[in-house]
Amino acid sequence: MDEVLSSSTGWGRSIHARSFDRSENIVEMQKTIRSIGGERGALAVGLRRSYGDSALNSGGLHLSSHQLQSVSMNPTSGVIRVGAGLSIASLETIALRAGYFPAVVPGTGFVTVGGAIAADIHGKSHHKTGAFSSMVMSMKVMYSDSSVRELQPTGPTSKHFWATVGGMGLTGIIVEAELQLSPVEGNHFNVHEKRSCDLNELLFDLKTADLEHDHTVAWIDLSGSYCGRGIVGMGDFAESFSKKFRNSPKQINFPLKPKGSLITPITVGAFNSMWFKKPLNSGTSSVRAFCHPLDGVNNWNRVYGEDGFLQYQFSIPDGEEEFLFTVLAKLRELKAASFLGVLKRFGASSPGYLSFPSPGWTLAVDLPVSIPNLERTLNEFDAELVNRKGRVYLVKDSRLRAEYLPAMYPHLNEWKEIRDEMDPQKLWNSDQARRLGLC
Amino acid sequence: MLNSFKTPQRIALIGGASEIGNAVLRSLPQDGIEEVIRFDRQTSGFDAAIENARREVVSSMFTKDLDVAIIAIGALGNQESTTEEANLLRVIEVNYLATAHLLYLIASKMVTQGHGKILVISSFAQERPRIDNFAYGSTKAAIDFYARGLSHKLKNSGVEIKILRPGFVLTRMTQGMKPAPFSISAEQAGKIGAKLLQGRSTIAYAPTILRYVAIIFRNLPEIIFRRLG
Ligand SMILES: Cc1cc2nc3c(=O)[nH]c(=O)nc-3n(C[C@H](O)[C@H](O)[C@H](O)COP(=O)(O)OP(=O)(O)OC[C@H]3O[C@@H](n4cnc5c(N)ncnc54)[C@H](O)[C@@H]3O)c2cc1C
Repeated sequence: MDEVLSSSTGWGRSIHARSFDRSENIVEMQKTIRSIGGERGALAVGLRRSYGDSALNSGGLHLSSHQLQSVSMNPTSGVIRVGAGLSIASLETIALRAGYFPAVVPGTGFVTVGGAIAADIHGKSHHKTGAFSSMVMSMKVMYSDSSVRELQPTGPTSKHFWATVGGMGLTGIIVEAELQLSPVEGNHFNVHEKRSCDLNELLFDLKTADLEHDHTVAWIDLSGSYCGRGIVGMGDFAESFSKKFRNSPKQINFPLKPKGSLITPITVGAFNSMWFKKPLNSGTSSVRAFCHPLDGVNNWNRVYGEDGFLQYQFSIPDGEEEFLFTVLAKLRELKAASFLGVLKRFGASSPGYLSFPSPGWTLAVDLPVSIPNLERTLNEFDAELVNRKGRVYLVKDSRLRAEYLPAMYPHLNEWKEIRDEMDPQKLWNSDQARRLGLC
Repeated sequence: MLNSFKTPQRIALIGGASEIGNAVLRSLPQDGIEEVIRFDRQTSGFDAAIENARREVVSSMFTKDLDVAIIAIGALGNQESTTEEANLLRVIEVNYLATAHLLYLIASKMVTQGHGKILVISSFAQERPRIDNFAYGSTKAAIDFYARGLSHKLKNSGVEIKILRPGFVLTRMTQGMKPAPFSISAEQAGKIGAKLLQGRSTIAYAPTILRYVAIIFRNLPEIIFRRLG
């Protein structure tokens, strides 16, 4: 290979890789795959919104899905066939124009359809709709022998399908997917919010909200007294069309490139107190303001300075709420303040072997890596999660110890067997896969 | 891979009995380390002087990704039991030939990986020949020179070479010798080595003040320097 190595990093900017990067169409990808030599293999990558090293392959090849942007839609059935490189934001725009909306969208629109399947992502609607894979009717996957095969959730190809869902790019390159969109009448959300004064109340409010609303999520204040107060956001797709929300809102760039982190207990404490007391939202909201609140600012991840940050996201079953209190107490001890703490309830799991969501609770916390003793504390959390049948979300991970993986993902061995069958050459690889012994 | 805390998972220590090498290991953040592989003569029967043994050891390290290698083999070459000639050959063989070869082999593997860090233990003795240790110093000057060149060559490969230049370190190797000024314990040297591995710079002296002493040392007129000798 004559390309030069380029440097890339996950969204958290705390883990880096040097690799060969290529962006190709399907035919070129097939040619490339046939000619790959060396030990480091290749990996499909999307928009790199994974936080850690899921989309990094040091010393190997990154094959970007950027050129896979095809779209064809059946306006009567709401079934859309899209290239895996299409972003969720574009998918939303196209769908809305035809009177549809994807039932599952993540917290940012800058995620590709391929990345959404590979991580079996969830949205605020999980308690009602399940994960992203619930929308996937079929997909085309490029195998390591360069053949492109169509996989379906049921029937003879279903094992390969469910190994690719949540399979972190390690079974092949998703090149195209057929998605079932949901019909909608309006173009925006009806939203409303509620303040909850401590963790018990927040858990209760979120549970209640799930009974009545299609989209729910809670912001939790991780600063000050760490009592678990927060704001529950609830939304439902509006049934009417509003001209106000016709154009998508503008984006600005994060203006600074700080060396050190601007996220300190003091700045976070001040921000969180203000946020907790903000006037509650009630009324209508644009799709972006409700579904992707952070997408208004490009590169906001720079706020954490050069060392970067990580997101710790885990899930625990119902009945294990005590662990959430433990986490709050420990973060308080560490003075680990975070302005992004997100709590959500999960509904039923998908059949994806490595799919993350399972019934119960999930908490996601953004933390600067420079917090002293954070690594040890997170390791302790992981050990506790294993006891409580919880797990961490791989697409956010950049530090999990390999020893915890099998207990967190009980279908790991079945997945490995299918993966080996799909990729006998062991072509697909990532830094995360090597770190965690996935491949 | 170094994880997001910059903690390595797999580390190899060549010269597994080296006090400085072990002190460096102890000073690294421990929470992410999953495996430390040690190679030394006593326990793993590794003889760095044998070319094939070096090759075998390096390929055995890379069954999985290796994040950090610490090359801590070394001979002082002042054993009174042997001849000056035998001592000369011994220090060249261990401190330069074997170390440079290991460095080359490990670096090549790490370049394929696209990441990795290698710590080489040079010495303050490489700054200027002194009557009592110039043979030893010459081998350290040579390995230092090679490591600097390699570090430059690997600038954009994701692989980093780190060079530690300790002064007089109180270890088994220096037992019975008269401690020089600025002498430090292996533990202190280890701390500096660990910091070097985690930071951005390529070279560190231990203790760090030797960096300034070195400037004076190198620039003293020969006539004065010899008298100090
Ligand atoms: C602000 C923000 C909010 C987020 N909110 C949510 C959320 O609410 N819910 C949630 O679940 N996640 C959320 N995420 C995480 C994000 O949805 C996932 O990381 C997603 O996988 C990113 O997709 P990507 O296109 O950026 O993929 P990348 O980050 O580039 O890759 C992620 C993984 O997918 C694989 N992959 C990518 N494309 C393909 C392909 N074509 N074929 C096969 N494998 C592929 C890669 O190999 C890698 O393993 C959020 C991330 C950010 C930054």
